[in-house]
Amino acid sequence: MRYGGIIIAAIGLTCWPQVVFGSLDISQLISAAKAGDTVLVPAGVYRGEIQIDKPLKLIGVGRPTLDGGGNGDIITVTAPDVEIRGFRICGTGIDLDKENCAIRVNAARVTIVDNILDDVLFGIDLKESPDSVIRGNHIGGKVLDVARRGDGLRLWRADRTIVEDNEIHNGRDAILWYSTDVIVRNNRSHDGRYGFHLMFSNGVTIEKNDLFDNSVGVYLMYSSKLKLIGNRMLRNRGPSGYGLGLKETDDFLVQGNIFVGNCVGIYIDGSPFATPDSGRITENTFSANDTGVEFLPAVKGNHLWSNSFIDNFEQIAILGRGELTGNEFDRDERGNFWSDYPGYDRDGDGVGEANYESRLLFENLTAREPSLRLFMFSPIHQAVEFIARAVPAVRPEPKFTDYYPLIEPPIEHGAELGSSTSLVMVALSAVLLSIAAAVLGIVFFSPIRDAMRERRAVAVT
Amino acid sequence: MHNVVKSELKSGALVERAETLAVVAVSHHGRLRVPSFASNVFRIAARELRDSARSRWFLLYTAAFVALGLGVSYVSAASSGGSGLSGFGRTTAGLINLVILVVPLMALSAGAGSIASDRERGMLAYMLAQPITRLELLLGKFTGLAAVLLTSICLGFGVCAAILAWKGSRADPVALASLVGLTFLLAMSMLGTGLLISVATRKSSVAMGVAIFSWLTLVFVSDLGLMAGAVALRMRIENLFALSLVNPMQVFKMWALVSSDTSLDVLGPAGLYATDTWGAGVTWIFACVMVLWIILPLTAAAAIFSRRSPI
Repeated sequence: MRYGGIIIAAIGLTCWPQVVFGSLDISQLISAAKAGDTVLVPAGVYRGEIQIDKPLKLIGVGRPTLDGGGNGDIITVTAPDVEIRGFRICGTGIDLDKENCAIRVNAARVTIVDNILDDVLFGIDLKESPDSVIRGNHIGGKVLDVARRGDGLRLWRADRTIVEDNEIHNGRDAILWYSTDVIVRNNRSHDGRYGFHLMFSNGVTIEKNDLFDNSVGVYLMYSSKLKLIGNRMLRNRGPSGYGLGLKETDDFLVQGNIFVGNCVGIYIDGSPFATPDSGRITENTFSANDTGVEFLPAVKGNHLWSNSFIDNFEQIAILGRGELTGNEFDRDERGNFWSDYPGYDRDGDGVGEANYESRLLFENLTAREPSLRLFMFSPIHQAVEFIARAVPAVRPEPKFTDYYPLIEPPIEHGAELGSSTSLVMVALSAVLLSIAAAVLGIVFFSPIRDAMRERRAVAVT
Repeated sequence: MHNVVKSELKSGALVERAETLAVVAVSHHGRLRVPSFASNVFRIAARELRDSARSRWFLLYTAAFVALGLGVSYVSAASSGGSGLSGFGRTTAGLINLVILVVPLMALSAGAGSIASDRERGMLAYMLAQPITRLELLLGKFTGLAAVLLTSICLGFGVCAAILAWKGSRADPVALASLVGLTFLLAMSMLGTGLLISVATRKSSVAMGVAIFSWLTLVFVSDLGLMAGAVALRMRIENLFALSLVNPMQVFKMWALVSSDTSLDVLGPAGLYATDTWGAGVTWIFACVMVLWIILPLTAAAAIFSRRSPI
């Protein structure tokens, strides 16, 4: 019988929901259990470290709290096939040298499901743990300066692990080291440094995650065979605020993602690196970012097609000076949609007849002298562009050319972000218009008042 | 002087002006009471408001501002196709640009035109013959013109907000409301400067010329100079930022960015420096600069006006 050895912590049940002190009980239950048992832990607050050294299921009933009291680690797993479910775990130490951690795993095939981790330095730390499952956890880091934080989630050689439906925030990174074929799906990672960070991890799929208010949404480094599909990167800002960063990464497909309000939508540094022509970026929407896609000067081998670039302050940028000739902005005679494309479509095939060329003088100036960005949004910005159009001699060479610019955005991504008539906006409009109406009313009805006053004055004299 | 007044009395508007003032004087006399400071300021303000609201420049500028605001909001709401992606993007950026171009021109020329033209036409001597002081007159003019500008701004932004609401844009109403407030502050600072120009010049044509030149300087020339200086002198970003704080247009722009929840790091290294150094406190710097830009020109105008002959 599989669940033959269910042990119920009677002590906990009788005095529920009182506080149970010490690690005595849970550790005792674990040492009393046999491999393959299920240990049910009733609600309550439990202190002290817990070691799980045999394969078993540790399941919280009524969400018991494991409180580290601000010291050391909380759960350490050294046996494979362990499941941890239904706990609230809080208060690890803050020692970065010892990497104080809520759930530390040094074994394969663990399942960590439906836990709430609060005020933890490191959240879940898997080392040499292939085929694990991290699902539906909430991992909240410590409110510390970012340099003193730990990683909300760390995978080290945890191949084929599934990370899904988690919420990770206020940590440093959610990071994958040397872990191949991992699936990262439906997570929310926010207010951290890197939403997800890949180091030397190949064959990873990252899909439908929300990454917002981080320094970088997803940073892919030294990895290959990656898929990023249907994620949303919003408001990732700061000195290096990227929706997606690509550093020396090969063979990547970035498809159907939304990049809104980031400093830079995608930052491309030396990617693709070893496999030529292996960068594919398609069907993404870049909107209201300071820069849509930023390339380092020597980058080549990327294909961008069927993307929408909508009202980014700078659609495509090259850091420093350089050309983008090694990258292609179309595939099968389909380019990208550019909101500032002035051309038209005569033959109705959805592709504009004139090329899209990016040759804005102000962008050219700011590329050379970034401090000049201070003058963005000023009339002088427009004046500089006007001069460039009027005096072709000062107009810069095009940074790149899209030979098949699209007339309509190929994918309509905005709908899912919602668009509605705001009642507050209606009210604001009404207030403003009635102020104006009141003043004008006083002005244009005053002749009547004057006439009355004049009659009165005449009567007095 | 009598000739001047007479010749102006021929025009309908001025007849009305003179009558209004006469009524004010008579009614005071009837009540046998020395009018208070506030009531005098209010009377002048009301008169200025009435005259200006009927004048051509007000109608012209208001129409232009409303039309441009309408255009900006309509185009920006349409361009994002109701996609809801626009956020800050084009609407606010367009509105900031529009305000920087139109509102200072409006305020400067309104201020510059007021006292200089009164002096030129002899109305100034006539008004100062009434029981009011020069400070009262100046503050009255300022208040009246400020109310006119407020009307113009409210109309422009009101129409703009209506379009955005109708088009279902995701532009933030709070950001727009704060943009209205900031625009009014900018208008007041430029109105004070306009009045300074107005009391310092004898002819209204000269005052208008100086006003247009000041506008050109503040909107284009100083920025262009600063850009050139930043490149040529390899200016440090903290100095560049400090120098840009002198210009009320730049302060308005940066304040509008901050108040629409856009981090100043949009503005590159200098903006990043500002965010890192002062954080949210940068708003206080902007507020101080703006208030100084309202108070200082007005004080200077009062000082000059008190020493000048009314003719």
